[in-house]
Amino acid sequence: MSHYDAIIVGAGAGGGVAAGVLATAGKRILMLERGPHSDFAQVPRDHLRNQRMSFYGHNAGPDIEGNPRTLEDGSIIQPHQRGYQNNAAMVGGGTRVFGAQAWRFMPQDFRMASIYGVPEGSSLADWPIDYEELAPWYERAEWEIGVSGTDSAMTHLPPYRKPYPMPSLEPNTAMRTHMKGLESLGWQALPMPQFINSEPYGGRQACIRCQHCVGFACPVEAKNGTHNTTIATALRSGNCELRSGVMVERIDCDAGGRVRGVNWIGNDGERDSATADIVIVSAGAVESARLLFNSATAREPQGLGNNSDQVGRHLQGHYYPLAIGLFPERMMDNLGPGGGVATCQFNHDNPDVIGGGMLADDFIVLPIISWKMYAPRDIPRWGLSAKQFMREKYRCLGDIKGPVHEIPSPDGRVTLDPKVRDKFGIPVAHLSGTTHPETVRTATFMYERAEEWLRASGAEKVWGYRPDLRLSGGQHQAGTCRMGEDPAESVVDPWQRVHGHDNLFVLDGSVHVTNGGFNPVLTIMATSWRAAEHIVEQW
Amino acid sequence: MFNDLQLRTLHAAIDRVIPPDDFPGGVEAGVADYLHGQLGRDLAHLATDYPRFCDALEGEAQALHGQAFAALAAEAQDILLARVERAEVSTDWPLDPSAFFAAFIEHCAEGFYSDPGNGGNRDGVAWRMIGYEVNG
Repeated sequence: MSHYDAIIVGAGAGGGVAAGVLATAGKRILMLERGPHSDFAQVPRDHLRNQRMSFYGHNAGPDIEGNPRTLEDGSIIQPHQRGYQNNAAMVGGGTRVFGAQAWRFMPQDFRMASIYGVPEGSSLADWPIDYEELAPWYERAEWEIGVSGTDSAMTHLPPYRKPYPMPSLEPNTAMRTHMKGLESLGWQALPMPQFINSEPYGGRQACIRCQHCVGFACPVEAKNGTHNTTIATALRSGNCELRSGVMVERIDCDAGGRVRGVNWIGNDGERDSATADIVIVSAGAVESARLLFNSATAREPQGLGNNSDQVGRHLQGHYYPLAIGLFPERMMDNLGPGGGVATCQFNHDNPDVIGGGMLADDFIVLPIISWKMYAPRDIPRWGLSAKQFMREKYRCLGDIKGPVHEIPSPDGRVTLDPKVRDKFGIPVAHLSGTTHPETVRTATFMYERAEEWLRASGAEKVWGYRPDLRLSGGQHQAGTCRMGEDPAESVVDPWQRVHGHDNLFVLDGSVHVTNGGFNPVLTIMATSWRAAEHIVEQW
Repeated sequence: MFNDLQLRTLHAAIDRVIPPDDFPGGVEAGVADYLHGQLGRDLAHLATDYPRFCDALEGEAQALHGQAFAALAAEAQDILLARVERAEVSTDWPLDPSAFFAAFIEHCAEGFYSDPGNGGNRDGVAWRMIGYEVNG
């Protein structure tokens, strides 16, 4: 059997960073990814099947067939269906097709319980680490992955030690309009930091401002994910063996709690295994929890690291209140990626609600998404006037939305469904519960701010989607292996080592105690960088 | 899957959901091609309902006007479809008129506004109409 210094399960944001750090440090690693290692042409620009709008499927995995999950009502659902909480499954994970927003969490985001108290029924808690601890790792990720932005505009954060490595992209028409709206309201306005090359960087070219950014792969690799940065570095080092298209079934753990390696099954059904000095789980908040459950031992019959019944709980993502406006002038000028002006005016210090969130304008909205989700509800849905609405007004629609810092509930959770198995015969994830009702209150407050911004930007008419109580996870999934000092209330320690296991780590969004009012990927990268460097130092 | 009469009805209905003006209507833009592709793929569960929907539309036209749906003037077709949308039908329908019509108009929009790779939006004509450009 092959032996490695480390095995990494999952080649997304967290695992991808870990691979780069460990391979560069000379560790021999095996990286296992259930999805494919796709080139650009293998991530189709299918407007009905993509990670932005999954009417009939996805373009970045997992496969529709053979990967079910189950819900509280007993339904068995496929990855593209409502409630599945899908992210992606391919080398690079979600970073392959993300919108590439590169936000740092704010200092307050790490201290939610201390600042706001803990609402009844919620598992709101402080992180065991603070912003100052993470700041150097944010900076490291910004420079090594590659972020364009304007540090001086990030007035909601402590001053940056180093600026962003690239300036912000030039604004498009919608951004200029929304910037004026913010100025008229007196709200903070900033260009969104993005994992997008505004100029050549990292040996790759600048963004060509195309119209297929979020939900799709970049045709010129100007969008910086782990697949074209840290994983590429790891592969070039010669120290990283990448196997895609394999599903890890189980982490092998001895009676004393020492992890020995992992077993996996290929898409061809062939079983294989390898041993390693350490195992890093980076499969995303749902699948990482599932793997720990499926690796139960006599010592931990409810799953590795789960003797305190914390694995899988506190599932969080982001509520995204969305307000849409009809403008008298054209907003859409085809200059992608779209989405670029934001405000952090309402992430904290709001009257009568807990936390808040960032708000921003949106990426270019695909025509079919615009028609299905963004068109006003009071226009005809068929006939000449429907067609003429799109002809005359598609380019006059604008929208504001943003991720709300969720207030977690211990009952919003992932468990194992012992009765339903995936195509490999492995028990699947069962999803149950909801976020805490306080999340809905904050999201409603944020929705109203989004409407206010649109009106200030000049929208003649405003409508949208008000939030309701549900389970949240999806592409920003987090929280299921929360970080903490106390094994009774957390799954991993502040260095992301699973309590009770010397050589088992979780490096992904699972460890987030709370998920910020921001896209979480930069924080996943920063925490993973910090933890992976610590692993190397302690070797 | 569709007989000739059903196809004529289907095409006529598609062209009332997305009528031609100085830009092509749904059929010319490939919406029927999109639909045929999907009935063998993601909408395979509707492969028998779609011909029945066409039969039911035809039955309405015959009952109300004594003519084929496809032979009616556009205005009469619109009035008939609006009644179907409200489930005000005068014949026995084997499926829920409102719900099926609602799904039908969504499918038409999918064919018209999604990428040409899905069989509709021929040569990107719908995107040219609305001003969505694809560069790079």
